[in-house]
Amino acid sequence: MSPRIIAANLGVRLKSFYRERSAMFFTFAFPVILVLVFGTIFTKPEHLNFDLPVQDNSRSEASSRLLEALAAGDAFTVKPVPVAVDATQYAKEHKLNLLLVIPKNFEVLQKQRVVGPHAGVPVPLDYVYDPSSTAVETKIQLLHAIVAAANQKATGSPPAITLNAVSILSERYRFIEFFVPGIIAMAIMTSCLSSVLNMNAELLQKGILRKLATTPITRADWLASSIVYQLILAVVSTAAILLVSYFVFDVRLHIGIWLPLILVVEVVAFTGIGMLLTPFAREAESASAVANAFLFPMMFLSGTFFPVEMMPAFLQTFAKLLPLYYVNEALRSAMIFVDDAATLRSVGVTAAFAAVVFVAGTFRTRWDEST
Amino acid sequence: MPNTGPAIVVDKLCKYYGANKAVDNISFTVKSGEVFAFLGPNGAGKSTTAEVIETIRVPTSGTVTVLGMDVTKHKAKVVRRIGVLPQNFSSFDRITVRESLQYFARVFGCRADVDALMDLTDLRHKSGAPFNTLSGGLKQRLGIAIALVSDPEIVFLDEPTTGLDPHARHQIWDVLRGLKARGKTVFLTTHYMEEAELLADTVAIIASGRIVAMDSPAKLTEEHAEQTRLTLTSIDATAVGLIRSLGFSPIPKGNDSLSVPIKTPDDVRRILAEIERAGLALGGLDVRKPNLEEVFLKLTKTPAVSAQVRAA
Repeated sequence: MSPRIIAANLGVRLKSFYRERSAMFFTFAFPVILVLVFGTIFTKPEHLNFDLPVQDNSRSEASSRLLEALAAGDAFTVKPVPVAVDATQYAKEHKLNLLLVIPKNFEVLQKQRVVGPHAGVPVPLDYVYDPSSTAVETKIQLLHAIVAAANQKATGSPPAITLNAVSILSERYRFIEFFVPGIIAMAIMTSCLSSVLNMNAELLQKGILRKLATTPITRADWLASSIVYQLILAVVSTAAILLVSYFVFDVRLHIGIWLPLILVVEVVAFTGIGMLLTPFAREAESASAVANAFLFPMMFLSGTFFPVEMMPAFLQTFAKLLPLYYVNEALRSAMIFVDDAATLRSVGVTAAFAAVVFVAGTFRTRWDEST
Repeated sequence: MPNTGPAIVVDKLCKYYGANKAVDNISFTVKSGEVFAFLGPNGAGKSTTAEVIETIRVPTSGTVTVLGMDVTKHKAKVVRRIGVLPQNFSSFDRITVRESLQYFARVFGCRADVDALMDLTDLRHKSGAPFNTLSGGLKQRLGIAIALVSDPEIVFLDEPTTGLDPHARHQIWDVLRGLKARGKTVFLTTHYMEEAELLADTVAIIASGRIVAMDSPAKLTEEHAEQTRLTLTSIDATAVGLIRSLGFSPIPKGNDSLSVPIKTPDDVRRILAEIERAGLALGGLDVRKPNLEEVFLKLTKTPAVSAQVRAA
């Protein structure tokens, strides 16, 4: 392996990358945009607030108390619905996924519930909902929780059971803190796989590799320069993600010695996979298809966007076969939980995988028949 | 170590792609300092042969030595002493002419005079232009400059003028003449007869993976081509008997043309004088010397090969 040749290759690649503005934009800006979008959505989940249309047919003191209870917890902003309209039709016409209907005799029923022949009979409240809506389940759960609290309060007795939260983390973390390490892992994986496959396919298609085969460049020089190049991109991309996360969302993650080590093993692993897949992607068009076939399952099944625990058991088992899962685990263990033992385990699995694909990738890299 | 023997020795070289025989038991020697043209129609096996010599491909059987070194055993040493312009040469799109030359100089670990290389290939005015902005001719000239970056003893040029316009082709030929003047051994593969005839010291004609003839262009023409021909157009039919009476064998071509094989310029004078003396009308005349193209067409005259040659 020649440092002179590696430096020459690196120079050409970095110049090409710098001059290809669209590649530069998508390599660095895409993960940053993801952080901005998801960060904006999930930064403050404790202040989750939904509009709740309510048709108050009772217009009584009892219904006013109920509306106050609904609005009190910050979960809902009550929006009045005209009493004269049909609630179901109104929900359809206005594309409402949940509409609460307070009956006209709500106050009377409340009083009858306390004394008389109907004592103890619960007061019914109807809600009209759209089962095809993805958000409605959460809103219904919140509504049930508020009604249950109101019921419990109406009994006048203190709650039988209460919950106290004890976090395993020393600091309070939001979703964005868990999301950022996943985005770092995903950005590096995407850059390594796509870049190696596309670059090799382009060089092969144009015959540049055939020219390089008549120079003193060896396979090891070529692989090493690819890895160093990807490592530089990984460092810049990670720095951009962390800086945007910090300045926009005040995300504070632990940045220690593990982070550069994880970046190195991830770059080697995914550059190796890229080299291994190169023979299947001999043209630019097939390179994108091959890259996507590997990127998408890993992106969505490795716990980058949502926890692996949410998936069915067989997919959880599959996820644990994917290298990105261990990179995600390593980054979160190192940057959030600050758990050296867990980080070491995940880094160890990733490093072993990286060593295997690197060696295999080296043997699979051919630009002439004599190598 | 300087080489005192032949630059290239190919001995009983065979190359198969699966069951397809691309190169079929060919042998030849390229002398140091000569321009060796490998001539053949598309698919004849010339690029495959060149790529085996350039260390890109591995021979199925036979041996190839470059500067005394077996190419299959000493690839690393061989590539340092040769320069290659591959077929359909391409380079990094966004890297400029100067940067490309500097890159390959660093790869070879040599102190190349980049400006001198750009002057040799007339690229100085394009030194800051990225590769993807160059015309076909400029790209080929850059490819040649890159092939020369390590000051190689042998330069391989695989179809350097294919697809270029006549002006760009002549510019490449000027560069090749410059290489020849500097004493470089040049291995040129081409399907342009004129190119080989103008530039080569030795021409090998390959067809269907076999060498069918090899010699200097002049000797190949002398040995394989027809005689010089005098063509007379718009001439009276009675001229046939007249010319025959002088000892020539005229061949009628069309209604009013004759083709007469001749040997010397004096033959032309004799025939014209006799036509004038007889008072026969003559529309025009043309004297055509035999050339390499004729030799090539004759030696590669199988239906498939002829079709390829016409297409080329």
